[in-house]
Amino acid sequence: MLFTGVILIASGNMKAIKRRIKSVGSTKQITKAMQLVASSKLRKAKARAEQARPYFNELYKTMCEIASANTDFSTVYTVKREVKHRLFIVVAGDRGLAGGYNSNVLKMAVAAHANDAEKPKIIAIGKKSGEFFAKRDYDIVASYANIAEDIKPNTAQDIANIAIDMFAAGEVDEVVVFYTMFVSSMSQEPHSMSVLPMDTVELDDYGVMTYDPSPEAVFNRIVPRFTASLIQCAVVESYASEQGARRTAMENATDNADAMTESLSLLYNRARQSSITTEIIDIVSGASAQS
Amino acid sequence: MTPFKLQIITPEKKVFDGETEQIIVRTTVGDVGILNGHEPYCAALGVGQMRIMINGEFRRAATSGGIIKVSKESTTILVQTCEWADEIDVERAEAAKQAAEERKKAAKSDAEIMLAEAKLSRALNRIDTASFLK
Repeated sequence: MLFTGVILIASGNMKAIKRRIKSVGSTKQITKAMQLVASSKLRKAKARAEQARPYFNELYKTMCEIASANTDFSTVYTVKREVKHRLFIVVAGDRGLAGGYNSNVLKMAVAAHANDAEKPKIIAIGKKSGEFFAKRDYDIVASYANIAEDIKPNTAQDIANIAIDMFAAGEVDEVVVFYTMFVSSMSQEPHSMSVLPMDTVELDDYGVMTYDPSPEAVFNRIVPRFTASLIQCAVVESYASEQGARRTAMENATDNADAMTESLSLLYNRARQSSITTEIIDIVSGASAQS
Repeated sequence: MTPFKLQIITPEKKVFDGETEQIIVRTTVGDVGILNGHEPYCAALGVGQMRIMINGEFRRAATSGGIIKVSKESTTILVQTCEWADEIDVERAEAAKQAAEERKKAAKSDAEIMLAEAKLSRALNRIDTASFLK
């Protein structure tokens, strides 16, 4: 009786282990496929992020130069008001399964207004960002999904115009973008960047520059474009980060699946061996009992 | 003419990074020519053509909205789009022109009309730029 009981447990165990190995195997297939997709997308996104940087850096430098070269002109975009209402533009992914990518940037946005009297207004970029803030009853001004992979200048301009209009109308006193900076394929950092009002950085050597027709005109003309470029840049960086984060997460998952399959096969073989041993003992003891 | 450094950068890529002898760009107030030794200068660019001279020959491109900055060391042109005349897909530009015209007719609000007109002017600019090749 004792022996048959062990055989039953062992064979039941074997079946369960076999089922488990199979399910881990199919999960591994999925994570492996996702890893491959993410690494091919990462290559493209990385190139895009790197190519966008010189434009953004030059534009930023020029804006600072204009803003500091002529401090006596007045434009609504550089005036710092008392901050009562804020607008957050939060860039997250459209899908999960990317490690801490989504939660890191969303957490950062939530932490940033922890001391405020009221919740900020939100422009959500990415499905996960929209869902997150909708669930928590934020005032969502606009929500965009599935635009990150191939963001068009026009889309970025639309988003920028909403923010600029709200700022110019005095509905919000500050506009902040939350995004994930692409440091390398292995490392991505959530960042926040104040868009409006514009920072005026004092430069030591700006020389005497002629503005055609006037600094105000040039400035007011570029602010919308600048804001749009900033948003576009944030989205492009975030998208590259998302793919990097997903690739790393899926690589880890695939490795874990490998390790699990290995230890499960060990268990399976042990169970198989012990069931064979008990069977042999059964037969031998049965035979010796008859003789 | 003495060549000087020029960079043309769009959000997508660096379109040009090298030396040129002369630049003519369409700013918001009109065409402006830049030669070596120009005073520090900065202007916003509208939708229009840009010409840069390399080895005595002008190269033409269609650009839309941006900024030009001339400093002592170099000149930088930052634009949303920049297409060389020989790279323009005229058929696509024609299609965009027609689509913009139809949108303008169907437009109901001022904002829609403005949007359609901006699209139209970009399409016309591209067609115009490409036509100089023939």
